[in-house]
Amino acid sequence: MSTFSFTLNGEQIGPLELDSDTAMIEVLHEYLNMTGTKFGCGIGVCRACTVIVDNDDGTSEVMRSCINNVGAFNGKKVRTVEGHATTKASGEVQLSPVQQAYIEGYAFQCGWCTSGMVNAATVLIEQLRREPIKKNQIESRIEEALEHHICRCTGYKKYYESLKKLIEETEELWT
Amino acid sequence: MKKFLSNHPLLMVVALLVSPQLWANDDAVKRGEYIAKLGDCSACHTAPEGQAYAGGLKFATPFGELYSTNITSHKDKGIGDYSLQDFKDALREGKGKHGRLYPAMPFTSYALVSDQDISDLYAYFMQVPAADVDNKDNDLNFPANFRFGLIFWSWLNHDPQPFKPIANKPEAYNRGAYIVNGLGHCGECHTTRTKTFGIDKDRIFMGQVIDGKYAPNITATELNRQGWTYRSLNDLFREGYSSKGTTFGGMFTLISHSMQHLTESDMKAVASYLLDQAELDVDAKTPQAKVSIDETSPGYELYEAHCAGCHGGQGQGVPNVAPAMVGNATLDQNHPFNTVAVLLKGIEPQRYSYVRAFGEMPGYETRLTDAQLLTLVNFLRESFTEQSEPVTQQQLDDIRDQIPDNAAH
Ligand code: HEC
Ligand code: HEC
Ligand code: HEC
Repeated sequence: MSTFSFTLNGEQIGPLELDSDTAMIEVLHEYLNMTGTKFGCGIGVCRACTVIVDNDDGTSEVMRSCINNVGAFNGKKVRTVEGHATTKASGEVQLSPVQQAYIEGYAFQCGWCTSGMVNAATVLIEQLRREPIKKNQIESRIEEALEHHICRCTGYKKYYESLKKLIEETEELWT
Repeated sequence: MKKFLSNHPLLMVVALLVSPQLWANDDAVKRGEYIAKLGDCSACHTAPEGQAYAGGLKFATPFGELYSTNITSHKDKGIGDYSLQDFKDALREGKGKHGRLYPAMPFTSYALVSDQDISDLYAYFMQVPAADVDNKDNDLNFPANFRFGLIFWSWLNHDPQPFKPIANKPEAYNRGAYIVNGLGHCGECHTTRTKTFGIDKDRIFMGQVIDGKYAPNITATELNRQGWTYRSLNDLFREGYSSKGTTFGGMFTLISHSMQHLTESDMKAVASYLLDQAELDVDAKTPQAKVSIDETSPGYELYEAHCAGCHGGQGQGVPNVAPAMVGNATLDQNHPFNTVAVLLKGIEPQRYSYVRAFGEMPGYETRLTDAQLLTLVNFLRESFTEQSEPVTQQQLDDIRDQIPDNAAH
């Protein structure tokens, strides 16, 4: 047993007393009741369980929550799929641009891979916002970001095309 | 008219059926096909996605870039016009029809290949479908771009001698010695190079860095110290995965193309030679490996956070998912090269057979600091091996310098 703390979608979590051999996804599901992150293969291959870690230098990166135990997130700022949408004063839910693009493009069906696909695309967009790319690099950067994410329903094309459309329509991401 | 006749498909079939010579040749072709696998010719002479044996694979050498050549039966672009003697000269002496061959072609090892095996190989290659593919121009620096200079290299480094069986060793052992030193060309990677890039005869199989990985010491003394057995070697060479860990780098390629195809008797022969067991003990069990984990150490904290999810909280691994750290041969090498290289760059997903594949081993170059990497490497060595010397920052820097950026395989 050890103690762990981190922030989750901006909220302080912990200190939690946990067995240090606990996978991060188990902490999310069983201790924090955050079930939006999906458990797929459990061996770091399918990427469904991908979450975001925000670094102190303002950069963000993806991390898989099934192969990394809670210690790998100790003291870090973590974002999960639950952290992207905002609720307006009127109570209306405002999806993030990536979430909206995926819905409009009918990118997902069963939704199992969606948490990972949303987080990977969000990190890509945040990278491009810091360092815009050339227009002709858009396709290869999307491939790099999503290529390892496994989807068994709609295939990869709709995710790819929705994200491509979103990036192309967001002009500050490329020159 | 004559030309027409001999080209007629039906008549050719008849000719095949009636010609006893061609039937005899069939056996030679079959044997030759197996020998080509032992010699791993396709690994170097087939480019990714390219036609079999059409060449064009790039080699980064200390002198610049070099391409393997088309060795299909194409008359102008391949080796279809080679006589048996030409073929022998190329394989054993590094004399190509168009000049001396660069030693990326392992003729220093193939020098040991027997006449019979060479003529079977020849029969096989003369019927490999011709590939209409031109050889690529090499991009080598002076003076290596003059093939003539290679004669001097040959004088210094190449002394072709036929294979001599070791007296008072059984036939199987000698067969193993023949495969390992000759066709298997294990020494090309596992033996230190001299200043002129020849094999250092005094340090046979004692290990060297090759393409950003360390081809470790595989002398019998070292393999026995590490507790290798016939079974674990057989698993490693057949499946790329044994109780002592997985393979990667050039060894993975060698196993996929070549070693997994060894017949059972050749596998035993190779093991008998490698382990220096004149009478191979086929039932020997892997000895109990050291496990001495200090759960209060900072190394264990890092291990639990980042590695235990796949390699298990006690280093026991998960069968068919991630190799055990307990008894792992990579960790137990005196030289920490591969442990550090794998930690920095990871290993890309590898498929070992139809039924066995490993996901990726992640790279930690950007995720862990140097201090954390060293703590972790030293924790692994202390917990699971007899290697007591701690790895230093200097060693870490040296290893990093020798790893190309794209080394995740
Ligand atoms: C480790 C890589 C490697 C392996 C294994 C290898 N070759 Fe080569 N081979 C080369 C390279 C590179 C060249 C071109 C050398 C040059 O241009 O000087 C070459 C050249 C040759 C040539 C001369 C061809 C010509 O164009 O004149 C022949 C014949 C040949 N190889 C046959 C074989 C056979 C048969 C095997 C298997 C028993 C084999 N090689 C295994 C790398 C390899
Ligand atoms: C996603 C699961 C996963 C995680 C997390 C992981 N590894 Fe691995 N590791 C593997 C796999 C799979 C291999 C074998 C890959 C292959 O050969 O195809 C491997 C290979 C290795 C090897 C080489 C030994 C061998 O037999 O191949 C070492 C050393 C190693 N891992 C250490 C570590 C350390 C230290 C950590 C934590 C910093 C770690 N691994 C994290 C999956 C993982
Ligand atoms: C192309 C280069 C190359 C050739 C040729 C090659 N090896 Fe290796 N070998 C390696 C590398 C690199 C490693 C380290 C990576 C690993 O453990 O898989 C290795 C590892 C090994 C190991 C595991 C040792 C340990 O301590 O983990 C054994 C055993 C071995 N090789 C035997 C052989 C034999 C026998 C041959 C010849 C039939 C051979 N190798 C030919 C590159 C090569």
